[in-house]
Amino acid sequence: MGGLLQSAHWPFLIDVYFFLGGLAGGAFVIATAALIVDSVRYRDVSRVGYYLALVALVPCPVILIVDLGVPVRFMNMVMTFNPRSPMSMGAWALLGFSAAAFLAALLTLLEDLGKARNLSRPKTVIGVVGGFLGFFLAAYPGVLLGATARPLWINAHTLGALFLAVGASSGAAAMALVLAALSRRSGDGIARLATTTVLAVVIQLVAMIGFVWSVRASGSAPALNALALITSGPYSMLFWGGAIVAGSVLPILLGLVGLMRPSVGLTAVTSVLVLVGGFLVKTLIMAAGQV
Amino acid sequence: MARTLAMFTDTSLCIGCRACQVACKQWNELGLELPEWTGTYQNHTHFTDKTFRLVRFIEEPKPSGDLAWLLMSDVCKHCADAGCLNACPTGAIYRTQFGTVNINQDVCNGCRYCVSACPFGVVSFNENTGTAKKCTFCNDRIHNGLGPACAKACPTESIQFGFRDELVGRAQKRVETLKAMGFKDAQLYGADSSGFLGGLNAFFLLLSKPSTYGLPENPKLPQKNIFVDSLLSIGSALLVGIGALVAFRQRGTGGEA
Repeated sequence: MGGLLQSAHWPFLIDVYFFLGGLAGGAFVIATAALIVDSVRYRDVSRVGYYLALVALVPCPVILIVDLGVPVRFMNMVMTFNPRSPMSMGAWALLGFSAAAFLAALLTLLEDLGKARNLSRPKTVIGVVGGFLGFFLAAYPGVLLGATARPLWINAHTLGALFLAVGASSGAAAMALVLAALSRRSGDGIARLATTTVLAVVIQLVAMIGFVWSVRASGSAPALNALALITSGPYSMLFWGGAIVAGSVLPILLGLVGLMRPSVGLTAVTSVLVLVGGFLVKTLIMAAGQV
Repeated sequence: MARTLAMFTDTSLCIGCRACQVACKQWNELGLELPEWTGTYQNHTHFTDKTFRLVRFIEEPKPSGDLAWLLMSDVCKHCADAGCLNACPTGAIYRTQFGTVNINQDVCNGCRYCVSACPFGVVSFNENTGTAKKCTFCNDRIHNGLGPACAKACPTESIQFGFRDELVGRAQKRVETLKAMGFKDAQLYGADSSGFLGGLNAFFLLLSKPSTYGLPENPKLPQKNIFVDSLLSIGSALLVGIGALVAFRQRGTGGEA
């Protein structure tokens, strides 16, 4: 597809990292939003979000290190600071966000164990600082792909926005799913997470339209060929059926139904659809861009 | 910085002998590769971790029905604005005092970002060393005043090595000569420092339009996207953040607290 161009051929594991990193960043930001609005009322939401962010982060550095050609040299990533390289910035963001996610989860744990009564003030500080890093972690893979010579990616301009929205939607969906599994009944927290999920999916859909539109507008033949893999080629079933209809449109419709008649089962189903859809979005863009 | 060194490949003089490709392999101790069927005399289809010099063979149909026999000895362009160098997250890729771009093999950790970031498909990943590889303009030779192996081996002076400013002047005269001889599509590729990628330190004289040789007509520095893509990401972040705050603040949705 790329003529004489070469590809890094990043494997499927990197798609998994992009998904988990985005989910962690999204969950962390939403947990912080809940904490800021009402730390008592949404205690469970922020707890689940902070724990989930840390759990989702654990495999990330392992994946990145294993994928390197010379894994023992992984530290070289943090020996330099190169603002022109999204990968360099991403390595620093992962490091900083991991520290924030660890601290937030630790403070939450101290509260849960009864070692401290109310740590919402330090948690808010960590939450806000870490929230910026979390957003960065969710978005940077898209900007990183845009800063390559691969035709599908260099001609798209909303990949960062799209990846961030997928991170937010999958973070909110994963939190709702965990809360649903824990409480088994619809609570205020779950309902508001469901609303957040729908909002994020709408932004995700808009960014996806922006992606297709900007690639089309470029008129670049290799980019259009790569795009056709998704829209009409071998990945089109997964794209239209999985990422768009089941993973975006259906969750929005189900979310609207849920606004009228909240149901924990409905939220759980919607969350699973959003998670699968978000994963497909990232995976398909990676696959089509690297052919 | 010392005066910029450059390579000027005049494809009108190339006879396709591949002496440059062989000399490159010999000097840089690049290993064996099995040949592949490419549909032309060319081998391989693109640069690899063991092929830093690659003679392209293009048979282009002419309106008269003949085939134009176009040859081009291709190499790393050592761009003034280099996508690979910008992309490198470890500092392994650096610019020498001569203006060339090298990969420090002791620092590269094999993330392969540069492979995807090169607008010309030059940088290649070596599975054995786990690092990225490409032409260095024979860094060891040019630091000892020898000139790159490919330029030395070229029997027709199709590959010329020297100071960039001198070579550009020579190349411009050569284009005029060729145009006067009837090669109306003769043109320079990458010679202009104010052109794409800040000019290429390995620039070319082509006898047809760049796309005939598989070269991008107007390659873009991939990192040019970062600004706009980041702004759009921030916009998306604002919408998501405000959306989440509104979703939690709004009254009346959901069941019991």
